[in-house]
Amino acid sequence: MADADQALKRLLCLGCGFLYDEALGLPEHGLAPGTRWDDVPADWVCPDCGAPKHLFEMVVIGYAAGQPQIQPAA
Amino acid sequence: MANSFILRAGERGHNLIPSSGLNASYVAGHPEGFITRESSFNFHEYQTGRAGFGRMRVFGDEVFFGAGCGYNMHPHHNFVICAFVLQGELTHVNTVGNIDQLHAGDYYVFSAGSGGKHAELSINGDEMHAIYIWLLPDQLLLPPSYKRAHFDAIARRNKIQELIGAADGALPVPQDFRVSRLVSDMPQKHVYHPRSTAHGVYIFVLDGELTCGEIALGRRDSAGIWGTDAIACETGAHTSDILFVETIV
Ligand SMILES: [Fe+2]
Ligand SMILES: [Zn+2]
Repeated sequence: MADADQALKRLLCLGCGFLYDEALGLPEHGLAPGTRWDDVPADWVCPDCGAPKHLFEMVVIGYAAGQPQIQPAA
Repeated sequence: MANSFILRAGERGHNLIPSSGLNASYVAGHPEGFITRESSFNFHEYQTGRAGFGRMRVFGDEVFFGAGCGYNMHPHHNFVICAFVLQGELTHVNTVGNIDQLHAGDYYVFSAGSGGKHAELSINGDEMHAIYIWLLPDQLLLPPSYKRAHFDAIARRNKIQELIGAADGALPVPQDFRVSRLVSDMPQKHVYHPRSTAHGVYIFVLDGELTCGEIALGRRDSAGIWGTDAIACETGAHTSDILFVETIV
């Protein structure tokens, strides 16, 4: 768990704006909360537009009030 | 000390996207319809240019050809999508609840926020020309929204008019970001003042000519300039139509 102390990242799909938040994962797509971007399979694509992983950009942007509606597990 | 880059019209990414074959469900229209997209920054298949400029990620110079041509309903999140119609008629449909028709001078801001779909269509057979700009928002998953406005090139000629930003009559966006337009019918000196030296300006010549110091731009040429709080420029002899996109860099 060498990277356990690293802040959890957020990545945005540059094809459509879909957000991958490491803290939340995508349980409905088989990615548990806490799944690091590096551990997301290399052939995984944006569920909304099909863009490959390399077309995601890491962002440092906070959530709007009331978001995310699904809170990360404690 | 100002920094800059120049992007000539022919150096942009070029895509011709037919409404048949692999794109049949993505691109609307008759089988012979197609979209041309000139991208100033990396987008979709085009990935060998600049990644963006400041908070801007997409600057697309697009034409829809053929009756019914455009983009079918498709999803977005987060990006703030702005369209400026230059020619023809754009029908915009979104899941915020709008069906809108836009003509030359009309523009919109569609903030996809927590999720929104849209369709962009040129329903009649006339060519539809528009500039699409995408920017990152300052907060994730904002409530989705749509607003539209009109730029009157006659009433506002020979002055730099803010279309997107905090100015009176401009459409606000959730970002430190402004878009202004200048339509000039004579050679004229103008000074564009970014908010600070930490702001950059992407200058795109829709039509005519613009000279900014050493930088001479023709139709569809563009330049990014940052690190200065005053950009002096001069329009050409005939009609010049210029967009100034200002972003924190
Ligand atoms: Fe779109
Ligand atoms: Zn996507």
